[in-house]
Amino acid sequence: MTATPRVLPFETKASRAARTRRAKTAAAQEKEDLKRRVEELEAKLRAAQGRRMPEGLAIELTRLFAAGLSGISWDRVARLLAAAHFAWHSEETDEFGYDPKFTETIRPFLEFMYSVWWRVETTGIERVPSTGPTLVVANHSGVLPWDGPMINVALRHEHPARRHCRMLALDMFALLPFLAPLLSRSGAIRANPENAVRILERGELVGVFPEGVKGVGKPFKNRYKLARFGRGGFVRIALKTGATIIPTAVVGAEEIHPNLAQADFIGRPFGLPYFPLTPTFPWLGLLGTIPFPTKWSIDFGEPLDLSRYPKEAADDPILVNRLSEQVRQQIQTAIDGRLARRRSIWFG
Amino acid sequence: MRDHGMGRIAITGASSFLGERLLRRLIREGYADDLVVIDVAEPSISEGSIRFRKVDLTEPAADQAMLDLLKADGIETVVHMAFFTNPRRDTTNAHELESIGTLAVLAAAAAANVKNFVMRSFTFVYGARGQNPALIREETPLPPRAPLSWLRDKVEAEEHAASFARRYPEMAVRVLRFAPLLGPSVRTFYTRIFDRRLVPTLLGYDPLFQLLHPDDAEEALMLGVFSSTRGAFNITPRGVLSLSTAIHLSGKVPAPVPHLAAYWGVDALYAAGLVEAPSGFIDYVRYPCVADGEKAKRVLDFEARHSSRESLDSYIAYRHPIADVAGAGDEDAEDSDVPSAPVEILR
Repeated sequence: MTATPRVLPFETKASRAARTRRAKTAAAQEKEDLKRRVEELEAKLRAAQGRRMPEGLAIELTRLFAAGLSGISWDRVARLLAAAHFAWHSEETDEFGYDPKFTETIRPFLEFMYSVWWRVETTGIERVPSTGPTLVVANHSGVLPWDGPMINVALRHEHPARRHCRMLALDMFALLPFLAPLLSRSGAIRANPENAVRILERGELVGVFPEGVKGVGKPFKNRYKLARFGRGGFVRIALKTGATIIPTAVVGAEEIHPNLAQADFIGRPFGLPYFPLTPTFPWLGLLGTIPFPTKWSIDFGEPLDLSRYPKEAADDPILVNRLSEQVRQQIQTAIDGRLARRRSIWFG
Repeated sequence: MRDHGMGRIAITGASSFLGERLLRRLIREGYADDLVVIDVAEPSISEGSIRFRKVDLTEPAADQAMLDLLKADGIETVVHMAFFTNPRRDTTNAHELESIGTLAVLAAAAAANVKNFVMRSFTFVYGARGQNPALIREETPLPPRAPLSWLRDKVEAEEHAASFARRYPEMAVRVLRFAPLLGPSVRTFYTRIFDRRLVPTLLGYDPLFQLLHPDDAEEALMLGVFSSTRGAFNITPRGVLSLSTAIHLSGKVPAPVPHLAAYWGVDALYAAGLVEAPSGFIDYVRYPCVADGEKAKRVLDFEARHSSRESLDSYIAYRHPIADVAGAGDEDAEDSDVPSAPVEILR
């Protein structure tokens, strides 16, 4: 609307008529605009209802409270559940199920574990290339696979390129209820040569624990003794895709759940690969799954240069095994060095 | 009308959802004179110009009857689509039709020197296994001796096709493995489960799915029929969708069931006749079964226009139409009219 004039000017009849005409058309114009805007919004609302797109969780909750008990219907419950789901899940994932929104949601928690709970000290991050296919090979330990997300946080936060690491998850974890969707949403992929090659060919960073279940579930007395590195599958993948191998040593994860004895027969009917008895689990129930706050270190080692080998070298089992053993030795040496310098499990 | 180089085309299973779509499409594009429909019952859209031949593939002498027919009509291309999408309670009959019936059609086609053999299959034939790669390629071995008879029959049919492809190199065998269909007018056992307000899921599992739009399936089928390639092809949509996303996007309430209870419960309910599918299908909501469509894109030049998400959206718009939304899914509304008024399209 036109502003009211502070000083009443002297007006001729003609100028007043022109002014009112102008005001009228402006008002009409504004009304027209408003009407169009309302129509647009209504169309948007109808489209949203038509697609049954959930709105924000707060909106849905407010609606439910406003409607009271009588307002509870299937539709409302469904919309509320959908709003709650999409509050922390994306609507689209990649073909491995990686959900960026979910990963962002749980990131503060992982960061807390990284910087406060385990006070992870990371060295050698500059050895990880900023681009191109890269294979981070690490030792596996800790009963529950916490080392995977911690390596992920390290690369995400300490590396200048903020690289996202796709972890190769063991079948046993990738197939367990609850853990399976959790892993795939946070970017892990089932450990499978085909999957790894596919990701590496896109030039991404892949993390792998070649020890597998022998590493993560090893008894406490064997801590920091690397188990056999599978059948060297990771070397074959790296040779095929031309990926750089970064041998990585994780120290501190062995003591988060000291695996004092195994009672595998309890876990077997539930599809669990092993059932550890630790000082706290299963005696304290769910509290027993809280890991001990040890002091961790993650050391990224000298990259293994595979560029002098042709792609066909992947079919040479002797060479593959030699390279695999070389990586294992390098990680073992790095771990032994760390352990020799370590004064305390809790303070490093 | 012989310029397409495929000769006369015989279609088995033309009354199936995809079969009917293919038949209509071929008639629409002017191939009516070259078509022979082989089935137990005349397809509902049959017109005077379509030759219909009655052969029951479950009968012992079906191969001889097929052979006589193929020879008499001078068939050069066989499109074999006589497969059940829904699980059958009469598993013996399903086995006779799908496994033995395919063998009969293959044997007759080979003996009649048919040039092209196109078979409809499913990406479900890979089976839902935890060990599956994220994107399954065509060369992945199919599960042998699957406990689910639905799956076993399809795998056997695939094995027969592969063995004939080896033994008769002059016959080009193409197998099209379609991702599960979802879209307007698709009615299957899984859409009936999905139509309820409460959709049962497995507690702690959330696998990825591919949902193929029927329009894309039809397009792929046409490309598969009028091609000269060989081998198996995954026909997949763009993108994947997790079960939880699909449920929440379509305004359903998930009802999670522990998986051990689910297998027993569904078996009991199936025996009692209260559910449509046996417990073997639970694997498909537990583990992913997602196929790689790269080969179909490279060799058949097939690229889906719809993503899994769009297929789901089109299905929801078809099942729950919103009258007052102007322009919401115009295209889909048209599609959904197809089954009720096929005659208009034909004329």
